[in-house]
Amino acid sequence: MGFTVVDWLIVIVYLVVSVAVGLIGKRFIGNVAHYLVAGRELGLYVGIATLAATEIGTITYMYNGELGYKYGFAAFAAALISGVVMIFVGRTGFVISRLRELRLMTVPEFFEVKYSRGLRLVTGVLVALGGILNMGVFLKIEGEFLTIVSGIPSRYLVAAMTVILLLELLYTVLGGMVSVVITDFIQYVLLSVATLLVTVYAVYHAGWGNIVDKVATTMGEAGVNPIANPKFGLTFLIWQILLWFSVHTCWQTTAMRMFATRSAETSKRVMTWTGFIFLGRGMLPMLWGIAALTLFGTGASDQGVPLPVVNGQTLAPIDAMPAMLANILRPGVKGIVVAGMLAATMSVNSSYLLGWSAVISQDIILPLRRVLGKAPMDSRAQILVNRISNLFVSLFLMFWGLYYTPPGAVYLYLNITGTIFLAGAFVCVVGGLYWRRANTTGGYLAMLAGAAGAIIPFFFLHWSENVTGFAAFGLAALGLVIGSLVGRPSTASSAAQEAE
Amino acid sequence: MKYWQMFWTISLVVAGISFAFITLVVSVRGYKDLREMFRRLSRRSNGNHE
Repeated sequence: MGFTVVDWLIVIVYLVVSVAVGLIGKRFIGNVAHYLVAGRELGLYVGIATLAATEIGTITYMYNGELGYKYGFAAFAAALISGVVMIFVGRTGFVISRLRELRLMTVPEFFEVKYSRGLRLVTGVLVALGGILNMGVFLKIEGEFLTIVSGIPSRYLVAAMTVILLLELLYTVLGGMVSVVITDFIQYVLLSVATLLVTVYAVYHAGWGNIVDKVATTMGEAGVNPIANPKFGLTFLIWQILLWFSVHTCWQTTAMRMFATRSAETSKRVMTWTGFIFLGRGMLPMLWGIAALTLFGTGASDQGVPLPVVNGQTLAPIDAMPAMLANILRPGVKGIVVAGMLAATMSVNSSYLLGWSAVISQDIILPLRRVLGKAPMDSRAQILVNRISNLFVSLFLMFWGLYYTPPGAVYLYLNITGTIFLAGAFVCVVGGLYWRRANTTGGYLAMLAGAAGAIIPFFFLHWSENVTGFAAFGLAALGLVIGSLVGRPSTASSAAQEAE
Repeated sequence: MKYWQMFWTISLVVAGISFAFITLVVSVRGYKDLREMFRRLSRRSNGNHE
């Protein structure tokens, strides 16, 4: 069933309102701290909305739907870990409280505070590179979702996604974090309504009993027990715990929201409550994937799971969930769901654009200028550099994002590209905040060993994602410890210790 | 297998209810937060603190 006039109207109204409201943010931009961290004025509820909206995109629904389709209820383990770790970080304030007290704007900024300007520069390059490559797959996957559900011919995918990217770029460039926060709030409400609607529809159409039976007959014990599932196992679970600790504390877009809260205490509360949302962020779309398996999993077996067959056409597992939505949602509801998914897409993309361009401007361009002996830039000039960086990141995404296809499961690809910098960054941040011996030599070794530990095993030795993730974190930790014990004590200003 | 199914069913229910409840609360109270943020930013717009 295609898109009706009502569906189109809902989507167009959403787009117009979203961009118009986003442009309001421009009038509140007085300095670079307003532009990047909304003047550190985020309260609890709007903090929850912007953090949740930033980390829930159509890409999230797609890769979680794929995980549910391929691995059944066992995939829920990844969602459970992400939520529980987030609640733990929020309750204890682990890393986030101390970083918030340092009044940072980006994660690599901490590396100059604790280690050295050079290490900030290296970290900035790795963070920007890994982050942008990570984001690079978003547009294509999100476009696939929208074309399948709305029925737009795939030849219009590039044009449709370019228009969406330009719209979100418009308010992000002009209003920075303030605009992003305002739109995130509206987008969070809309995407949440869409999420709940789809969940009800999926369970109603597939039937809870049928869903449970399908997983049991297709996958057996591996469909419910993550330890028995050959794709997961204990190494996967431990890697996921490490990965989610690093994401919730050191992922630029998440950390920016913590830096933007009114106080360290507010950041803890935002993190805790968003942790509960993260349970649903993973499990609900995974359930949609399992429902799609139940309704359409009748094709030839692919690694033990039947491929989805929809209207006589065999699809890839990742496309099963959107194809299911295209078939089960009625007119009007489909418009709300697509608007909700567009909201999810725009909230993630605008936040990521701001996050990675902030790293390019604050942690690469500005430190480079100081290394070259140029005068510091004033706030207005910094905002300009941020805006130009935003444009460059968008241009890259338009070309890379629409033509590159990630290998294997998207979730695991995203995890590995994130690990390239997260392993080293997490180890350095934790070491820098909680271990006095951590020094610049250790920091360099940790960043390089973490990146090498992710790139070499995965791309050249073709090890599994689980072992690769393990290797990256292990090598980064080893690098920090050995470098710190062998190298000279750090002479950088220890504002980190002042925060203790 | 039965215990795993039960565990995931309970987890799913908790996740769904939390998601719906927090969405409701944030939708209602987030608006006030936004207004407060605008007020504070407007007040500070003339002074560059950072």
